[in-house]
Order: sequence, then C-alpha cells, then structure tokens
Amino acid sequence: MLNDTSLYPSSGHSSAADASEADPPVGAAEAEVRARVDELESRLGDPRDPENPFGHAAVLAADERAELIAEAEVMLTEFGLNAEFVPRALGGRLDRVDTLGRVLRGVFRRDASLGLGYGATSLLASVSVWAGGTDEQKRRTAELLLGGGRLAVAFHELAHGNDLVRNEFSALPQDGGYLLNGRKEVINNVERAEALVLFARTNTAPGSRSHSVLLVDKAAVPADRIGYLPRFATAGMRGCLIGGVEFTDCPLPGDAVVGTEGGGVELALRSFQLTRSCVPSMVLGNADTALRTVVGFAVDRQLYGRSVREIPHARATLTGAFLDLLVGDCMALAATRAVHVLPEEAAVIASSTKYLVPKLLGEATYEMSVVLGANFYVRQGEYGAFQKHVRDLPVATLGHSGAAACQATVIPQLPRLARRSWFSGPQAPEALFGVHDDLPPLDTDRLALVSGGDSLAASLLAAAEAAETSTDAGEYTDALRTLVRGFTGELRALREECAALAPQDRTVLADPRVYGLADRYALLLAASACLGVWRGQRDEAATPFLSEPAWLVAALRRIAGRLGHALPPIPDGCSEAVWDELLARTFDDRSFDLYDTPLGGQG
Amino acid sequence: MAVPQPTRTEAEFRDWLINRLSLYLRRPEDEIDLRVPFAEYGLDSVAALSLFGDIEDEYGFYLEPTVVWDYPTIAGLARFVASQAAQRAATGTGGGE
Repeated sequence: MLNDTSLYPSSGHSSAADASEADPPVGAAEAEVRARVDELESRLGDPRDPENPFGHAAVLAADERAELIAEAEVMLTEFGLNAEFVPRALGGRLDRVDTLGRVLRGVFRRDASLGLGYGATSLLASVSVWAGGTDEQKRRTAELLLGGGRLAVAFHELAHGNDLVRNEFSALPQDGGYLLNGRKEVINNVERAEALVLFARTNTAPGSRSHSVLLVDKAAVPADRIGYLPRFATAGMRGCLIGGVEFTDCPLPGDAVVGTEGGGVELALRSFQLTRSCVPSMVLGNADTALRTVVGFAVDRQLYGRSVREIPHARATLTGAFLDLLVGDCMALAATRAVHVLPEEAAVIASSTKYLVPKLLGEATYEMSVVLGANFYVRQGEYGAFQKHVRDLPVATLGHSGAAACQATVIPQLPRLARRSWFSGPQAPEALFGVHDDLPPLDTDRLALVSGGDSLAASLLAAAEAAETSTDAGEYTDALRTLVRGFTGELRALREECAALAPQDRTVLADPRVYGLADRYALLLAASACLGVWRGQRDEAATPFLSEPAWLVAALRRIAGRLGHALPPIPDGCSEAVWDELLARTFDDRSFDLYDTPLGGQG
Repeated sequence: MAVPQPTRTEAEFRDWLINRLSLYLRRPEDEIDLRVPFAEYGLDSVAALSLFGDIEDEYGFYLEPTVVWDYPTIAGLARFVASQAAQRAATGTGGGE
C-alpha cells in the first residue's frame, strides 16, 4: 500500500527550495502537486540521455518491439501512479481532475503507450466505479489499483446510439446473478488486468435502460468460461496490449452490477464527463514532445545557409503550434475544473473539449511535420520521437470516444442552451480558470446527463463587455476588442441557427452542416477559456508570460482564423513574444502548457 | 416564460409526440406506432434526450431528461407527461421555471 509521505523524500527536491527564493509562495495544495510532478519528472529522467532506460531512445526501441518498457512499469508502480486514479477518501491521491491530467501529462510526454497502457486505461475503467459503485466495489477497486493491479474497460463506442442498440454482449439475469455471453474487442490490457469493467446488455428490450455496467473480478469467475482473443496490431500505441475477451455462459454474482441494473447508459454518460475532460489534458503531453522535437530540429538544422528557425514560415508554424497547445490547455483546464465547479454544466464542456482539443493537437502536429521534412517519417535517431507521438495521438484520443461521438452528445443540447443560457445566464466563476488554485471536492452525483446551463459561453460575453471598457490589454486593446466582438457575433449567429434547427438535425442523422455548428461552438468555448485564464493570470507576478496579453491575442487570432473571421492587425512584437517564450522553454526544458513545468528531473 | 395554458389531455400529448417523432425520423405520421420503442426507430440514447427539451419548450415545464428512457414509447410518454401536467395544474406549479 502506498504511503503519501514516503513518496517525496525532502532530499530529492532541492529544486523546490531553490525556486522558493525567486518565486512567490504557492498554496500548500499547489506545492504538493508540483512535488508530485517533479518527482515523476525526476524518475523519468533526461529524455535525451541515451543511457536513460526511459529516454527517447529506449522508448523508440520499445515501440519498435511493440512492447511497453517493463522497467518503466516498475518505476511507475514505485511512483504510485495508480494512486492518481483513486479518490483520496479511498487512500489514493485523486482529489482534482485538473491535477490528474497534469500529472498524467508527464507520462504522455515521454511515452503515450505507457500513459495509456500502464495507467489511463485503469482510470477509464474505474471512473464508473467511483461514480456509481457501492462502498464495497469502491473499496475493492481502490485496493486493487493501490496494490499495483489493473482494471480494463470494455465499453465499445458507447456514445454511438446504433452501436448500443446492436451491442450483443449480454449479461442476462439468471439465478439472482448474471450470465455473460459474447466478446469485447480492441480492449487495452484485457488479458493482464485483474478486473474488468464491462458494458453489457442486461435486458433484451430495446432502449436506453437495457444495459448495465458490471465489475468483473476475474479471479472469482470460472476460468473455463473466459477466453482471450489474439492481440491486435496497431498503428500507434504499439506497446499497448490491446486484445479481446470472450465469455461463454460465464456466471456472475448479482453484486457485480455497478449502479443499477439498466442504468449503464446513464452511468456511462455521467462518468464519461470525467474522462472526456481529462484525456485531452493528458494527450497535450504528446503534442508537447512533438513540438519540442521539431523546435529542436529548427534550432539545430542549417538550411539555405541559415538555421531553420530563421525561416519565417518555420517560425510561424511552430509559434502557431505552441499557441494551439496553450488554447488546448485553457480548454482542458476549464473542462477538468468544470466537473468540480460547474458539474451540472460539465456534459457539454467535457464533450466539446474531447472533440476539439485532440483535433487542434492533431492538426498542429501535421503542420509541424512540414518543418521536419524527411525527418517526419524517420523512425529513429534524434527526431524519431516525433513520428511516434504523431501515431500515438489519434489512438489515445479515438480509443475512448471519437470526435463524432462527442459531437453527437453536444448537438442535441445546443438548441436548449442557446435558448436558455446564451446571452442570459450567469458567467462562470473565476475558479473555473484558476491555473494554480484549489478546487471544491468532486461530487459525481451532481454530474448531469444534459447540461443545465452554459456559464462558459456566458463568460465569453462578460469578457467581451470587459474588453470594451478596460484597457488592461494595453497596446493589445484594439486587437482584443475586435477579436471578442467577432466571437460574440459568432455566438449570436449560432443562437439563431440553433433555434432554427429542424428536429431531425438534432440526432446522429443530422446534416453534416450541424456538426459544423458544434465545431464553431467548441471554438467559442475555447476562446472563452483563453480569456478566462488570462483574466485570472493578469495580475500574477509568478506567471509573467501568461499575465501579458501577447499570447492571449495571438491565441484568439488562431481561433478566429478557424472561424473564418477577419483578423485584426496585431502590435509589433506579438508573435516574437510567443516565439521567444517557445525558444526559452525549449532551451530550459520547460513544458509548453499553462504550467511551464521544468522537465526531465533537471531540478 | 411560457404562456399559461389549459391542461392538455393525454390524446393531445400523443398527437404532439407523433408529430415530433415524424419530424425526427423523417417518416410520415401514419407510419409511427404508439407502442414501438423510440430506440427501434433508431432514435439513439442521446438524441432521445432532446425530446425532453422539446417537451420543456412546448409545455414550459421541466422533467428529468431520462423520462424519455423510462417511458420509451409514445403511448407511455404521453400518459406520463399528461399525468405530470395534471399534477402541476392541480398544485399550481405549471408554467415552468
């Protein structure tokens, strides 16, 4: 069993002591999170060290062998990574979903296969238990994870209605328990996990009350009723052990059901809000390493008699990618904090985040690949990490719930939110955007199937109003006003289009144009999150880059560009400020996100 | 928000739901069976939830989103919504938020 106090020997954190002389003091909770992040970074070590068993060379070699690094799994067990997934009340360290993403991001920066294959899979499985399980199920699940065990999740594209109706895996009631029959395919860790969280049909009637979530302790079922399918070979996340399972007349006790019988769809839609908000936060780590690799190339490589970084197009591309990471992190921050601060509204925020952030990151990595040239597809050497992260990124984000599934969750809710909340509801509390601030406890019972309001959209309007009268943005004031006017105009147009949506366009059969509405809406939420983060950081001496308006205006321009808005002129030095920050963070090995974390155990 | 209206009968709710379903499914009203579950028509879990928003829109009172799952046919849902409407009319809580 893990013991929190033993994890962080004070001798291992001289960096914290050094930093405290220069930086203003942080709260106890923030200091504790930083200690965890630093501890993980120092265990992962210098990625460029060829002797490091967890360095890029070792990660690439393991990927070529389609294996996870065994020593890395041992190291993560020693670190107690599983404790990040277990609520504090049950003996773990999970008390904030934003922190969960922030810590796991470190593993994803190094090796997403490890991040998913060692860890996040157990999280995706266990959230159902935390949100719907009995005390006994929670206790057993916590004990399993804290003891270094694994939980696999077999849900199958749940958000796709048609898949649900066609789901053939059954757990029909029998003798006070259930009888499992059928297969689940493409399931991470299915064979080596000690327990499974299954989504199964428990009633033959059609509809949304015929499925249940079941917790299956493999040791408690007859071994001859469970079999495994061959491992799937995958394009990305090659090290992950992705397989399948088949049950044949396998009896399960009645207390295996998580939540209520027939409550599976509801439980999944609620608990997915936790994972849809924090998986994008984790995969920011992939994009971080991809960008770091390409910036390293741009700095090292000479072309046309100059360094690649002197080529304006390369600089613009890399600056844009950095901005996309910041936009993604602002949105991930708002989503992971929304489940605490605005649980009744988290449904739409989480799904919009899970839709947009992986898309932004995927497109950013594609743009970066142009700078790398032939080094894009070379699978070894100094820049080989890039192609691995590019391959891993879509697997990490599609596996759980794809973009279309997330949009299908958002679309039916838009007309109601447009009518009830936009231009009339209250704005989000400042706590939604607190990069380093504490959060109220998570109450999963308050997560709603349908968002009851839309404070994040209302915050966009509040920020727009503030921008009209405030000159906080200094020389960026005019550009900021133009940008936010564009966003409020966009929200107004969206409101009209949503009000006019025909009923048939509110289902998965919706006209593709409707998916465009959900895309524009997600971009507006992202803009609101950026504005919220900046407004919260404006007076923070500890975050000089985030407190300045340059990044904000540059980031909002990226969003406005995606929306097809006319882009306002920006003051001289705006792009340079972002580029300089990118280079400084590259040279100092600091993360390309809101946290500006020192990497590689340099402390 | 909503203009106060006399309590609707179950039959009126049923007719209105048939009309909604025919719009959602792009099928003529006379092809829609009162007792066939929404899911069999291909109205998936999440889209079914938007029916609850329509009820709120049309009648101005709030129901749990999951009523559409718990009463998954036109006949069942109309009966439930009518009973809710009658209850609200009796206790004077109709008219929504």
